Amino acid sequence: MGDLFANLGLGFSTAVSLENLAFCFLGCLVGTLVGVLPGVGPIATIAMLLPLTFNLDPTGALIMLAGIYYGAQYGGSTGAILLHIPGEVTSVVTTLDGHQMARNGQAGIALGIAALGSFAAGTMATIVVAVLAVPLTRLALLFGAAEYFALMVLGLTLAVVLVRGSVLKALSVTIVGLLLSTVGTDLETGEERLTLGLSALTGGIHFVVLAMGIFGLAEVLRNLENPEHRDAVKAHIGRLLPSLDDLKRCIGPILRGTGLGAALGILPGNGAVLGPFASYSLEKKLARDPSRFGRGAIEGVAGPESANNAGAQTAFIPLLTLGIPPNAVMALMVGAMTIHGIIPGPLVMTKSPTLFWGMIASMWIGNLMLLIINLPLIGLWVRLLRVPYRLMFPSILLFCCIGIYSTNNEASNVIMMAIFGLVGYGLQKFGFEPAPLLLGFILGGLLEEKLRQALILSRGSFWTFVQRPVSGGLLLLAVVVFILAVLPAIRESRKKALIE
Amino acid sequence: MIKAPQDAAGGGLLIALGLVGVWEGAALASGSLGHVGPGLLPLALSVLSGMCGLILFAGAFRTKGSKLDRWSLRGPACVLGAAIAFGLAIKPLGLVIAGPMAVVLAALADRETRWTETLIFAVVMTVFCVGLFRYGLSLPIPIAPWLIGS
Amino acid sequence: MKTLIAAIAGLALWAGAADAQNYPTRAIKLVVPFAAGGPTDVVARIVGNNMSKTLGQQIVIENIVGAGGTTGITQASQAGPDGYTLMMGHMGTHGAAPALYPNLKYDPTKDFEPVGMAAGTPILIVASKATPANDLKEFMVYAKANNQKLNQAHAGVGSVSHTTGQMLNVQLGIKPALVPFSGTGPALNDLVAGQIDFMCDQIVNLVPQILAGTIKAYAIATPERSPALPNVPTTKEAGLPDYQVSAWNAIFAPKGTPKEIVAKVNDALSKALSDEGTRKRLLDLGGVLPSDAERTPQWLAGFVATEVDRWNKVIKAAN
Repeated sequence: MGDLFANLGLGFSTAVSLENLAFCFLGCLVGTLVGVLPGVGPIATIAMLLPLTFNLDPTGALIMLAGIYYGAQYGGSTGAILLHIPGEVTSVVTTLDGHQMARNGQAGIALGIAALGSFAAGTMATIVVAVLAVPLTRLALLFGAAEYFALMVLGLTLAVVLVRGSVLKALSVTIVGLLLSTVGTDLETGEERLTLGLSALTGGIHFVVLAMGIFGLAEVLRNLENPEHRDAVKAHIGRLLPSLDDLKRCIGPILRGTGLGAALGILPGNGAVLGPFASYSLEKKLARDPSRFGRGAIEGVAGPESANNAGAQTAFIPLLTLGIPPNAVMALMVGAMTIHGIIPGPLVMTKSPTLFWGMIASMWIGNLMLLIINLPLIGLWVRLLRVPYRLMFPSILLFCCIGIYSTNNEASNVIMMAIFGLVGYGLQKFGFEPAPLLLGFILGGLLEEKLRQALILSRGSFWTFVQRPVSGGLLLLAVVVFILAVLPAIRESRKKALIE
Repeated sequence: MIKAPQDAAGGGLLIALGLVGVWEGAALASGSLGHVGPGLLPLALSVLSGMCGLILFAGAFRTKGSKLDRWSLRGPACVLGAAIAFGLAIKPLGLVIAGPMAVVLAALADRETRWTETLIFAVVMTVFCVGLFRYGLSLPIPIAPWLIGS
Repeated sequence: MKTLIAAIAGLALWAGAADAQNYPTRAIKLVVPFAAGGPTDVVARIVGNNMSKTLGQQIVIENIVGAGGTTGITQASQAGPDGYTLMMGHMGTHGAAPALYPNLKYDPTKDFEPVGMAAGTPILIVASKATPANDLKEFMVYAKANNQKLNQAHAGVGSVSHTTGQMLNVQLGIKPALVPFSGTGPALNDLVAGQIDFMCDQIVNLVPQILAGTIKAYAIATPERSPALPNVPTTKEAGLPDYQVSAWNAIFAPKGTPKEIVAKVNDALSKALSDEGTRKRLLDLGGVLPSDAERTPQWLAGFVATEVDRWNKVIKAAN
């Protein structure tokens, strides 16, 4: 324990140097900016900033890049709440109740609780990283292909809990999401799959392209169709910050969200993406009146936002202790480290303790800075909603187009986004909800990879999923969750049938 | 008689998607359980999607449900058209042309649009975006390749 | 009329020549056909950073990912041959690709102007700590005896881990189960965890794990030991002298790029490789730098031809 304080002391003394504080602030600011801008994500930004960090001290450079990463997570929820555009995989869930809150004139409260929840989660998760990084790493290694597959199946069952409407429709769109995730070159053979012969699809469908289309553009189209609707948002703006009562209601969700997010974030296979979904489902199950969810329930923002941020912090554990990047942003961080001559892995902690502990300390400082940056900005964001919609929606469109183009300089992605905008519009018209589609899409890639690996390793035996205790347990949990979620729906439809 | 037109149409769409998936994935090897090929999952998911569609479609004859919403033409055509125009124009013409064009085309979608305002706004937004994305975030977005080469 | 055409043609030629002489007047795009942060990307960024200083214009890295790097190379090869689009070719894209992808839209030996070799990263044979064999000789015996049980990880057909792994399998005469991963990162994770028995990969990715003792390193496939891993024997020392392979990265320009421009870029590259700071960064990664003789475009052209030939044979033998 004494060691820990000595280490943290070292970390803080590194992180609070004027230079590193400035880097941290800069990173958080840029991160917030790119997170808020639809389409521009941390990946493109970090990639572009990499050369600029060449001549910096590596600790400062990494603190700045890390700041961009979790700053973008913060900013991503702003876009999700205000514009119904999830800029990041992890802010998909926030669109559900966060944007609804904004429509109810509670944009400020939603943004405030997202910021506060994220800060609380970030603080706790930083402690987790500092105290448990090393033992948790070993735990993460227990997760082989079969376990990941089981975890993904569990994640997919959340789709049914996520939505308000029909279970069958939720299942259908989840499957469509999975199907879309298989488009592009096969991970093993490199063959083109379901590309309809279009070269634009060979690289697969990019998450932001899909999300901008079926969430962002579809929302614009919906607003254009209902002019009364969009003006209702502006009629009353209400409180800017959450009240004490709101906070009290959110303590539970924040704590549970942090726990879930932190635990899933540790998994080197990008388990963090599941955190917000899991937290939302849990809060909805625990709520006395689940029907409030989807209509602007503050718990539905607080929980997932905490999970999202906690996961963003603990995702550094596999990177710093195993040297294995759990997602594309972390892979870039590996690149940033190697450019600076630091090769991330089990030895970073002993070989570069100032870097390791400095980064951990800077995570907390960064979270504090994000709170300081974001709370005053809430007023500005909310005022942004007052911009007349006739000017607002062309700007949203322009930002989406530029953002999508810059993710990998592909003009065809912009066109694809437009097509998915039409798909999103169609989904609304046919009564499908888009969130499960994105869930399926996000989990699809990993689900297939792990399924194929597990079956090769077991030489074709499905028993491997049941025999292995962790994977068997997760699958059992998935069955229970699914039955619990489906039962009320079945009962209801039977009632309906009887009445007729 | 169809009692839930919305479900019937949605189900039909899912069936169509399943068929396209099966058709497109037919050439891919499914492999064996011991070595799953690239085609297995697309095939299985297409079939599942089709099955969901069938159940939804069949259900539409039994239980009463929502009617079909009316689709509007102007909004989607202008907004999505604007995005497509941007995609086509950005590489050859750059942001200076593609930006205002996207804003103006999108603005056609709304009856409330005031033209002088929109035109000024389009120019201001484009200048702002050039500053923000190209110089602020140093993203390699073409500004005016025909004029300054990039 | 004729004189007019001649004048215009002359003017165009003159303008073109002037362009080549003034080159570069704006930022140069260097296409990296792999994800940002990977070994090729890191090499490109380190070298590009120094080259920007020599050329007086920024070299901007553009990552175009897909199909074992061939997507990015195909796109870059179709760009205008004006010297403003260059690409970082690679052992996979300019060596193994023709044998792996029957529909490849370019010919590595014909559709490019080779500029120069940048850096190679040596390949290592590594295994899980759970594997009973302690050195390469023991492993060769063990692998033959347990042919059916072995699991070898790779990052997809055409990836470095796949092609070099297949080369090893051909030389050892084994057919392990090939487990595909979406990248070498996740593959390494499962190797550390013991779910996978062995794999071949680039030194950059492996050094930390080997130094930390979380995986076993059997041999490095270069003529000499690497300063980054002085305790790991070469394949020659370990008893498999024919296994010589490294993942090389070299800069190419689209076919038809003027000679003057190629020479200018080659010169900047060579200067970068002689620069102390740049050298150190590359060597710290375990990189192998080309000698002076290996830095010319002509040498690279010959090298690509031999690589294409060699991988063609390996991949035919493995299937």
